[in-house]
Amino acid sequence: MSTPSPSDGVRAELGEMLPQLRRFARVITRNVQDADDLVQVAVEKALTRAEQWRPGSRLDSWMFGIMKNAWIDEVRARRRRGRVHAPEEAGADVGDDSAESRDILLSVQSAMERLPDEQRIALALVLVAGYSYKDSAELLGIPIGTLTSRLARGRESLQAMLGGGEAAR
Amino acid sequence: MKFSDEMLMAYADGELDLVARAEIEAAMARDPAIGRAIERHRALASRVQSAYRDVLDEPVPERLVKLVSGTAATSVVDLAARRAAREEARTVIGGWRIPQWAALAASVAVGLFVGVLLMRGPSAPYEESATGLVARGELDAALTTRLASTSDESNVRIGISFRDRGGAFCRTFHMQREAPLAGLACRSGEEWQVRVLAAARAHQGELRPAAAMPMAVLQAVDASIEGEPFDAATEAAARNAGWQEPSDVAE
Repeated sequence: MSTPSPSDGVRAELGEMLPQLRRFARVITRNVQDADDLVQVAVEKALTRAEQWRPGSRLDSWMFGIMKNAWIDEVRARRRRGRVHAPEEAGADVGDDSAESRDILLSVQSAMERLPDEQRIALALVLVAGYSYKDSAELLGIPIGTLTSRLARGRESLQAMLGGGEAAR
Repeated sequence: MKFSDEMLMAYADGELDLVARAEIEAAMARDPAIGRAIERHRALASRVQSAYRDVLDEPVPERLVKLVSGTAATSVVDLAARRAAREEARTVIGGWRIPQWAALAASVAVGLFVGVLLMRGPSAPYEESATGLVARGELDAALTTRLASTSDESNVRIGISFRDRGGAFCRTFHMQREAPLAGLACRSGEEWQVRVLAAARAHQGELRPAAAMPMAVLQAVDASIEGEPFDAATEAAARNAGWQEPSDVAE
């Protein structure tokens, strides 16, 4: 670490971005511990490959891409080890805040947790991180049509799980 | 209905071009079911967004802050290895479970730490001084001259202005950046001391601007405000007077 490298700029931006990275990780891993571990692994990877990042391009896209790939690798590895995601772990992440609004929000999260990874990741990018369809498709390396149909199917399932979703006004 | 659900979803997400939008809007006028379908998509989108919004206000675990700042010596490990390591050091992790209001101090500290660490340099909007963080550059200028009602392309927006219990003028602000920051600054002599700085959500058009203020900032306002926030006239008068105390006022 003797070089005053381009990673200094990357570090600065990453620091500001940590809350967004944690949120994205929370959506895709469904678990607080895994989420922060994933952020850590992704940040470590990004720092060791800082020279691969093209300044001017969006660092957050690059990070989300690293995180998505790292998570898919991790899921595969767990499957190989015969360790399936234990649902009670996700349950343990739920705080004991008893406020009513809190319960409603948590039920959205638990509905999200039941979606297939690819639909959840698409929704994480578009609805949670606020990416355009085009940027999301690019980041995932899939055609826009594929992204759109993942989004639509994911939302359809969510709507069904959340019971119609009539906007209470 | 001649529009596919995917198309209505794309409309709700603001992803359609002008022509397609116009077609849908024309059809909506004739068929209220289209509007209802779009509304349902929007409602679901906003529920999903809200469901994860709080994560942004959580204090960032110290290990991540240290890792990014380069003060931690770690190597790439996989999640399984990290999990194993964690079993042995359970005590440190888990701070996130503290309710947000209780974790206020922690999140403020993290905000300041990250901020001070990452924003040195000639154009930094604040710098460390003997008395804490002091606004500089565009932040200083905005705090001194800008009104909450000013809406232009500037990166800094002013929230509310008020007097704290010690009589000092204080203002909340939001800085639009790649990773937005928000905070509370109070006048001290000729400077603005930044009392709280935290990661914030981006302003998204007119969508609930107040919601962009992190919990840490709102809590700090609640804890220090005397009376009510200024109305527009009081804010303008204080600004025009250069945020100076009339020296002969003794309340």
